[in-house]
Amino acid sequence: MAAEEHSPAIVLRTRDYLESDRIVTLITRDFGRLSGIARGAKVSRRRFERRLEPFSHVMLRFRRRPHGELMFIVRAEAEGLESFLLEHDLARIAMGSYALELCEALTPEADDASDVYTLLVEALRTLERAGAGAALRQAFEMHLLAACGLALDFARCRLCGAPAALTAHPLAFVTERGGIACARCRPAAGDAAVLLPGSDAAALAALSCAQLAQAPSLAAAGRAGAHALSRFIAASAGRRLRSVEFLERVAGQTAP
Amino acid sequence: MAENQIKRASGLPAAMTGLVQELMHLPGVGEKTAARLAFHLLNRPREEVIALAEALLEMKERVGLCGQCFALAEGAVCRVCDDPARERDIICVVEGPADLMALERARAFNGLYHVLHGALAPLDGVGPDDLRIAELLNRLRSQSSPVREVIIATNATVEGEATALYLARALKPLGVKATRLARGLPAGGDLEYSDSATLTSALGGRREI
Ligand SMILES: [Zn+2]
Ligand SMILES: [Zn+2]
Repeated sequence: MAAEEHSPAIVLRTRDYLESDRIVTLITRDFGRLSGIARGAKVSRRRFERRLEPFSHVMLRFRRRPHGELMFIVRAEAEGLESFLLEHDLARIAMGSYALELCEALTPEADDASDVYTLLVEALRTLERAGAGAALRQAFEMHLLAACGLALDFARCRLCGAPAALTAHPLAFVTERGGIACARCRPAAGDAAVLLPGSDAAALAALSCAQLAQAPSLAAAGRAGAHALSRFIAASAGRRLRSVEFLERVAGQTAP
Repeated sequence: MAENQIKRASGLPAAMTGLVQELMHLPGVGEKTAARLAFHLLNRPREEVIALAEALLEMKERVGLCGQCFALAEGAVCRVCDDPARERDIICVVEGPADLMALERARAFNGLYHVLHGALAPLDGVGPDDLRIAELLNRLRSQSSPVREVIIATNATVEGEATALYLARALKPLGVKATRLARGLPAGGDLEYSDSATLTSALGGRREI
């Protein structure tokens, strides 16, 4: 039998299996994104001290199994890890669910994801404290993209490098370049572009540099900026995320 | 696995492969289990197998959903809705038929039910339109005798809480008092795994939300 391994982890998704088992996907600090089976998870409070459900922050103890089978989750303990209390507010649950799904969609399985884990902890902590605002959502989206090697740049033109604040407007967000083009470069930038007011580019540039915890006190980009991010995320994830519709419905945020 | 692949792999007669295929649609049943069940049935007396087949058909033909509360019902209305002794001005909202059964076993509730058939699950794309929420709101609007309280008895899980919050918000404009079960449900937070004493005290300790 494989040796028992352990890592702090956050539960991204669960699915009931048979009578009392649960299949669980987590972002671990030390081993990336993993999926495993927790036998008796629906009834055993002894081995699963902290419930295995979305947002649970646990010390995961598991054994790997051969041939790429689901790992075997031995135990999930609290061990003093902070928990995130989102359950009293629908908007927080909706935004938190979106954050979890985004992590799952953008992180390759079993890849190093310690940055993603750290980011998710910070995002859920900030969400609990400050609520589900657009600035936090946009900041998290950009920080997560950066942690997954897909950093966006709203500060300067991707083609000529001129600072956005000093170039001719309107700016355009070009999905396939992951950044903006100034009015002069736009004809050469390809046509799948979202026009961005200078204020949106400035807001996104500021949010992408700020600490996540500071994001709620900064200005969010408006409709066009949010739309540019959604377009880029949908292209990177290869699909529209399931939780987006719910988020936009309950949080009253504008749909792209 | 496609049927012809199973046939080749297993060497079973075609009539058995067909049954194995059907059994594999059951939750948690893989090919090995399905084949074991098929062998078991093959070796049982003919009457027993016929009784099983008839029970399956009878269930499918006779059991539907109650037109008022969406609980399982034989006929247009379920036994609870049909019972003149139940209080008609208090409705308990549950996620599924198994939760209703757990509450009935506990004998702690004497009102009517409403079964949502699920819970809001943003990560699985289950939204308000996928549950019997509109039906609940219509029911409350159209009741000739007004409902004084709606008890939201969804599970104590993230999805159950999200559903409860959403319902409480939707009930507000109707002016109906909405309450939530007290905390203290066990490990998984599922009603269906709670014992009667726990359910009774959760009902007794409900709070307005
Ligand atoms: Zn340029
Ligand atoms: Zn009924």
